[in-house]
Amino acid sequence: MLRIVIAEDAAVIRAGLAEILTDRGHEVVAAVGDAEALKAAVAEHKPDVAIVDVRMPPDHTDEGLRAAIAIRRDQPATGILVFSQYVETRYAADLLSMRRGAHAAAAGGVGYLLKDRVANVAEFTEAIARVAAGGTALDPEVVTGMLGAARHTSALATLTARERDVLTLMAEGRSNTAIAERLVISDRAVEKHISNIFSKLGLPPSDSDHRRVLAVLAYLGS
Amino acid sequence: MNKTDGAAIFSDNRTMAGVTTSPVRRTLTAPFTRRAWTELLYAVISFPLALCAFAFSFVTLHNGIFWAGSAPALRKMGGYNRYLTLRMLGEDIPAPPPLRPQSYVRVRTPDAERLAALAEAEEGAKVKRSGSKVRIGGLPATRIAELAADEHIVIHAMNPDRVLGWYRGAIRDTQAWKIRGYFLMKPIIASFHLVVAAGFWLAGLFYLTYPAWQVFAGAGPGLGSGHPVPLAASFLFVPLGAALLLASPWLTRAVCELDLLLVRGFLGASTPQPALEDRVKSLEAARAHAVDDSAARLRSIERDLHDGAQAQLVALAMKLGLAKEKLEDTAPPDFSRVAQLVDDAHRNAIEAIAELRTLAKGIHPSVLDNGLPDALATLTARSAVPVELIVDVPERPSAAIETIAYFSAAELLANVAKHSGGRHATLEAVHVPGLLRIRVTDDGHGGASPVPDGGLRGLAERVRTVDGSIDIDSPAGGPTVVTVELPSHA
Repeated sequence: MLRIVIAEDAAVIRAGLAEILTDRGHEVVAAVGDAEALKAAVAEHKPDVAIVDVRMPPDHTDEGLRAAIAIRRDQPATGILVFSQYVETRYAADLLSMRRGAHAAAAGGVGYLLKDRVANVAEFTEAIARVAAGGTALDPEVVTGMLGAARHTSALATLTARERDVLTLMAEGRSNTAIAERLVISDRAVEKHISNIFSKLGLPPSDSDHRRVLAVLAYLGS
Repeated sequence: MNKTDGAAIFSDNRTMAGVTTSPVRRTLTAPFTRRAWTELLYAVISFPLALCAFAFSFVTLHNGIFWAGSAPALRKMGGYNRYLTLRMLGEDIPAPPPLRPQSYVRVRTPDAERLAALAEAEEGAKVKRSGSKVRIGGLPATRIAELAADEHIVIHAMNPDRVLGWYRGAIRDTQAWKIRGYFLMKPIIASFHLVVAAGFWLAGLFYLTYPAWQVFAGAGPGLGSGHPVPLAASFLFVPLGAALLLASPWLTRAVCELDLLLVRGFLGASTPQPALEDRVKSLEAARAHAVDDSAARLRSIERDLHDGAQAQLVALAMKLGLAKEKLEDTAPPDFSRVAQLVDDAHRNAIEAIAELRTLAKGIHPSVLDNGLPDALATLTARSAVPVELIVDVPERPSAAIETIAYFSAAELLANVAKHSGGRHATLEAVHVPGLLRIRVTDDGHGGASPVPDGGLRGLAERVRTVDGSIDIDSPAGGPTVVTVELPSHA
C-alpha cells in the first residue's frame, strides 16, 4: 500500500484517479487542485508518491512541473509522477536532469505519463509502483520525443531499428525480461542488443536495471 | 534612343568624368560624351513634343467635361514623359497613384428631401435630388447610411453611381491637373532647350569651321557687319566656336536639370498624404489586433478543451479501464461495482458531448448558417429578459461580419440579463449597403462601461479588428443603448 498525494485541477480526473488508486488498495492522503496546495500537502503527509498535473492554476502553464522540481529539491525521497495531456520533451528532460548531480543518491523515482495511459489501469498502477520504488516510468511517447530530439547526435544515429526499440523500452524503465517479452525475442538477444547500444553510445555496461536507465537518460538529456 | 538602360550608361560616364579625369579634361571632352549627345537629343525632341502637349492641355481647358475626359490622356502623356526622362536622362521618377473615382451614390428613399438636406450639411458633399432619388457625391456610403439611420430615414436602395463617381474623381484629379500645369509650362523649358541647342551647338560648329566657310562658300555671314572678313581674320572665330561648343553640354545639362526638377514635382508621385498615413497606421493597429485576438481565441479554445471535454474523456477512460479490469480479473465479477463504473463513465461521456457542443457553438454558431435574422431570432427567444427584435437585413453581410454581429448581440443581451437589471430589451439589426448596425437598448439602471478583461472591452476589441466601432451610451439610471457598427465586408 502506498501513500499518495494527487495534484490535478480538473475535479473529474482527480476523483477518477482517487477511485482507481483506492480500488488498488493505495491510500490517497490528499487530493489538491493547485501547486501551492501540492507543496503544502507533500510537506505535511510525506507521501511515497505525488501524482502531479503539469498545468494547474493560476497560469495553466507549467506550475505543476515547477512544484515537482521544488519537491524533489526539498523532499528528495518523494517519488514524482508527472501527469500531462501533452508530450513536452522539455518537461521530461527538466525533471530527469534532477536525477543527476547532488540529488541522485537519495532520490525517489520519477515518472512522466500521458493522461491517456490511465485507461490501462494495470500499467498505470505498475508505473506508480515503479516510481514509488525509486525507479523510472516514462511514457513511450515521451521517450520517442526525447529520442527524436536527440537524434541529431551521431552516435544515436548508428543504432539499428531493433536497438532503438530496445533503448526505448529501457528508457521506459523496463527490465530485460520485460523487453524480451515485448519484442518476442530471447533474454540473450536483449542482452546482446543492450551491450551493443552501450558500446555504440560509449557507455560502460552494467547489470543494474536502474543505473542502466539513468545512464541512457543522462545521455538523452545531455 | 539607346536600348540599354539609360541609368547605367550615365552612371558609367559620371564615374569616368568625376573620378578618373581632371576638370580640364572633363571640360574638353564634355561635348564628345554619350551623355552630352543624349541630352542634346532630348532637348531637340522636347520642343515639338512640348508644343503638341501644350496644345492638348490648353484646348481641353475648355469646360468640365473636357477636364474630366482629358485626365486619363494627360496621365498617359505624363507617363511617356517620365519614360523619356528615365531612358534619356537616367532619372527614374515614381509613377503617381492611379486615378481614384470618388464616392457617388444613388439613394432611393421616401424621405428624399430630408436626406438631401442632411447630406448637404456634410462637408464636401454634393447633392442632387430628383423625386424619390437623391444622388450624393463626396460622402462614403457608410456615412450616408449612418445619417439616415440616425434620423430614422428608411432607405429603399443605395447604389454606387459609377459614371458620376468617375467623372467627379477625374475632374478633381489633382494629379492630372499637375500634369496639365507641367505641359502648359513645358514650352518655356523647351524653348530654352532649343536656344541652347541652336545657339550654342550649331553656332559653335559654325564658328569652329568659319575659315572653311570663307574658303568654300565665299563670305560667310559675318558678325552682323556685312563686310567680308579676311581669311586670316576668320581664324579668330575658331576659338569662339570652340568655346561655344565646350559650353553647350553644360548648358544643355542645366536646362535638363531644370526640366527634371519640374518633372519630379509635377509628373511624379507626390509625398503620401497624412490622411493616408493615418489610415495605414490604423489598419496596422487593426491587423495587429486581429492577430492577437485570434491567438487569444485559440488559446481559450485550447483551455476549454483541456479543462472540459478532454478531462471528461480521460475520466471516462479511467472508469472504463477500471470496469474492464473488474470484468476480467475477479471471479466472480462484482457486477454492482462494474455497473456503477459504467454509469459514471456514461455520465462523463454525456458531459464531454455537452462540453464539445458548447465549444463548437462558440467557434461558429450553426444557427448562423441561415443568416443573421434566424440566428438573432434564436438568440432573443433564449434570452432570460424579454427582447423585442427588429431586423432589417435584406442582404447578407460577409460571414466574418455575421459572426461578429452575432457574438456582439449575444454578448450585449447576456449583459442585459446579467447586469442591467432591466425588464425589457430591444435588439435592432439593420443592414444597409456598406454598414451593419446592431443596437441593444434596455430599460435597466445604466452605468455600463468597458472594464479591462470585461465582456464589453473584449467586444470592442473584436469589433475593431474589422474596422467597426462600438458606442456605449449608458447614463446612471439608464437606459443603456449600445450600438455596434460593422462594415458589410471585413
